[in-house]
Amino acid sequence: MRALLRDVDGLLRGEHDFAAGRGRIPWVRVALCVASGGALHGAALGSLHARLDQMCVSALKLPLLIASSTALCIPSFYAINAVLGLREDFSAALRGVLATQATVAVVLASLAPIVALFSASAIGYREAVAVDGALYCAASVAGHVALARHYRPLIARRQRHAWARLAWLVLYWFVTIQLAWLLRPFVGAPGMPATFLRSGAWSNAYVVLTQAFLGS
Amino acid sequence: MSVAWSAADRLLRGKWGTSEELASGRVGMGASVLLGLGLVGGAVYGAAMGLFGVLRPAHATGKQVLADALKLPLLFLLTLVVAFPSLYAFSALADSKLRFVQTLKLLLVAIAVNLVLLASFAPVTAFFTVSTTSYSFMVLLNVAFLVLSGAVGLAVLSKALRAVYFQPEPSNAALPPEASSEGERELGSSAEPRRAVARPRSDPRPRRIFIAWFAIYGLVGSQMGWILRPFIGAPGMEFQLFRARGGSFFEGFLTALGQFLTGR
Repeated sequence: MRALLRDVDGLLRGEHDFAAGRGRIPWVRVALCVASGGALHGAALGSLHARLDQMCVSALKLPLLIASSTALCIPSFYAINAVLGLREDFSAALRGVLATQATVAVVLASLAPIVALFSASAIGYREAVAVDGALYCAASVAGHVALARHYRPLIARRQRHAWARLAWLVLYWFVTIQLAWLLRPFVGAPGMPATFLRSGAWSNAYVVLTQAFLGS
Repeated sequence: MSVAWSAADRLLRGKWGTSEELASGRVGMGASVLLGLGLVGGAVYGAAMGLFGVLRPAHATGKQVLADALKLPLLFLLTLVVAFPSLYAFSALADSKLRFVQTLKLLLVAIAVNLVLLASFAPVTAFFTVSTTSYSFMVLLNVAFLVLSGAVGLAVLSKALRAVYFQPEPSNAALPPEASSEGERELGSSAEPRRAVARPRSDPRPRRIFIAWFAIYGLVGSQMGWILRPFIGAPGMEFQLFRARGGSFFEGFLTALGQFLTGR
């Protein structure tokens, strides 16, 4: 327990194995953080109507969302770094990206009691989605802080790293929004069964949003 | 009694820790003292809040006094339990010098200041309880006192956070030589120089932590208050330890404000 807390503390502060640009990538610790942090927050998301099945499904899906969106973007991220002439710094950049994902998962876990509190208050489905959305944004901000910490020395060395970071953020969010749309529901609408994927899940979030915006 | 009084006095005068202690990541006052002051302060104000339940025309009961004396300190402490993991995460992310236990102690300082100050408002609340029958007025008065004492607690927290991050201006001799070549600015050694160089006095991190803490604690606290209601006891309703679940604090506050403005 003490070792776990020390690891989490080191991750949040960017120290020890998670310090910027240093050493090997701590793959196992990153994977543990994403799996456990994501599962904890996912279970809290699914607890709105005290449905154990939705809690279990969401506990599986949230780490899957974080891990899959990262895995999908890494090849493109490598290519972008290579094109920008930053190939030799890719290891440090990847460390930063992975530490960021672990940070997001850990912060999501720390926010899980708040999600559970709102679920316990029996608030409405739309209110719950709004609260969960706001808390996910807060965790993303924490991720940006971690990414900025890892990228600071890289950008100090080569300004072009700022473009690589921007490319990562655009790409990551573009993919994550669609993946989250595919993997919905996370909260579980009242009266709907807890399923891993909703029927008709394979649609495009951007097309649906555009059509909703245009009113067609 | 005199020990508790002296501790409360020290707390309100800001003698719970020195700037030097905070700058080295420590909080001077003990957690048990802070917890005790918070519990007593909260119980005193909670009892005053519950007086309305004793004096209301229908369903008058002294149980409301007892219930509030328990529920008000519980409100603050349960809020801390729920919010602390995220408060600590954001603090560590901003590279705070306060470690786990010291962060908890600093938050207990802010809560204890808040509750001791609230206790000082207890006679005023009791006076208005005796002299008014307007439930919505009492709701707004209590919200006003909670906001006021909360603001003082936050001011203490804000000042403490600035002290935590304070670093004296470096003398020229203490400044490290500037890295001139590419080789001197190694990736791996980047974290240490960042900490070794003294930051300017206008460090944005305490403000950022403060905003994050304020948003998280405020969000959790308001909803926790909603869950633990009733604190005052609406006229015409029988005594309940907790009301049925549902809705949120913001919904309830806007309803009370509407009723007060329309004279209902």
